[in-house]
Amino acid sequence: MILLDVQYTLDWSVVTDRWRQFAEGAWVDIWVAVLGFGLACVLGLANAILRTSGVNLFSIPSFLYVQLMRGVPLYVMILWVYFGIANVLGVNFTSFQAMVIALALTGSGYTTEIFRAGLAAIDRGQMEAARSIGLNRVRTYRHVILPQAFRIVVPPLGNTFIGLLKGATLMSVIAVPDMVFLANELNVTLFTPFEVFAAVGVILVVLVLFFSALVYVLERRLRIAT
Amino acid sequence: MTGPLLTYTFDWTVVVKSLPFLERGLTLTVKLIVFSILFSLVLGLVVALVRMAPGPLGVIGFAYIQVFRALSLYVYILFIYFGVAAVLHVDLDPFTAGVLTLTLLNSAYMAEIYRAAIQAVDPGQREAARSIGLGSVGTFVSVVFPQAWRIALPSLVNQFTDIIKDSSVVALIGAGDLMYQTVERNSFYQRPFELFTAVAVIYLVMVVIVAQVANRLEKRLQRHLA
Repeated sequence: MILLDVQYTLDWSVVTDRWRQFAEGAWVDIWVAVLGFGLACVLGLANAILRTSGVNLFSIPSFLYVQLMRGVPLYVMILWVYFGIANVLGVNFTSFQAMVIALALTGSGYTTEIFRAGLAAIDRGQMEAARSIGLNRVRTYRHVILPQAFRIVVPPLGNTFIGLLKGATLMSVIAVPDMVFLANELNVTLFTPFEVFAAVGVILVVLVLFFSALVYVLERRLRIAT
Repeated sequence: MTGPLLTYTFDWTVVVKSLPFLERGLTLTVKLIVFSILFSLVLGLVVALVRMAPGPLGVIGFAYIQVFRALSLYVYILFIYFGVAAVLHVDLDPFTAGVLTLTLLNSAYMAEIYRAAIQAVDPGQREAARSIGLGSVGTFVSVVFPQAWRIALPSLVNQFTDIIKDSSVVALIGAGDLMYQTVERNSFYQRPFELFTAVAVIYLVMVVIVAQVANRLEKRLQRHLA
């Protein structure tokens, strides 16, 4: 490295002068994580219902899907969706869309297992009782099973969201302008790696701790209500 | 470059042609994973003991775990590889930076696994050991730890799967690992679907094997509890 004999003096104004840009970048991370998480929940719930259907035709592919989504690194998934899938299907995802899809796919592996465990934890008698008083399958799920399962799945789903938020910081690899993208740009133009990456790290830790606290509060409230 | 699904012709020969490169990358990835696993197993235990110590030491351990569990590997590796290296005037190579960051992040997760396992050992064991005259170190080394280790091992091995997946991110600082080689081959052949599918399969196989080992271990080590 050429820089070895250059004295590095810390200059935090690089970050403090641009706090708005950093905040906007962090907002992109949160927003992508929220969208990816929402999609992951929809996919996961549908998949969990297939998985617990007891019909091998549905439950075996659903099992393999989970193994696949949980076994492939997010970075591979991002490039696979953004370049690979787009290429084969002949569609052009924006990098933003590709990132949301990649997070949703990875996340759905985890949400499927969470919903499956949540559904399995509901006593069989609940289903039988609801069916015997004349509710059909859909109504039983809607009014009896899902409201009870909701309580069980909230804490682990919260942790999945936090995992996706951390994963979202990878989005600059396909040039979605989030806070890490900003930090990389500032590092290249101004050469202030320590300040900009420390700032991004601090923002991420604060965000994750904030959401962890939120999950903790939710968990306690749901527990008291039971 | 793009076309509708039916007109896309797959060319899997690029994967075969890339094999020598992927093999070289895989060798490095395996080294990266093995070093990170060994170091984080040791560091994780140390962090767990610090966390369980009374007073300010315990607070430091707690903070370490919270911070490193909240960071994403990508943000952290940028901070270490560019930021810290510039400030300290050290010339880190990507491999060392990768092992360092993977170790630090995962030691926080492993510390929590160790802590849970140590707390799961019946307190009577500790009391009995102390009452027959073993010191606190002797009690830990020959009574508590051997039992805690059995409880912790399956979860620790599960944590290895995260190390495998996270190791792909080290490609982003140019480590020459499996993912790096794949990205390189893709810019050469422009065949993202085939190449990223291949690399996804390789990571998946590694993850599934390790997860299976964790499963087997869990059954074996807890046989006496059944």
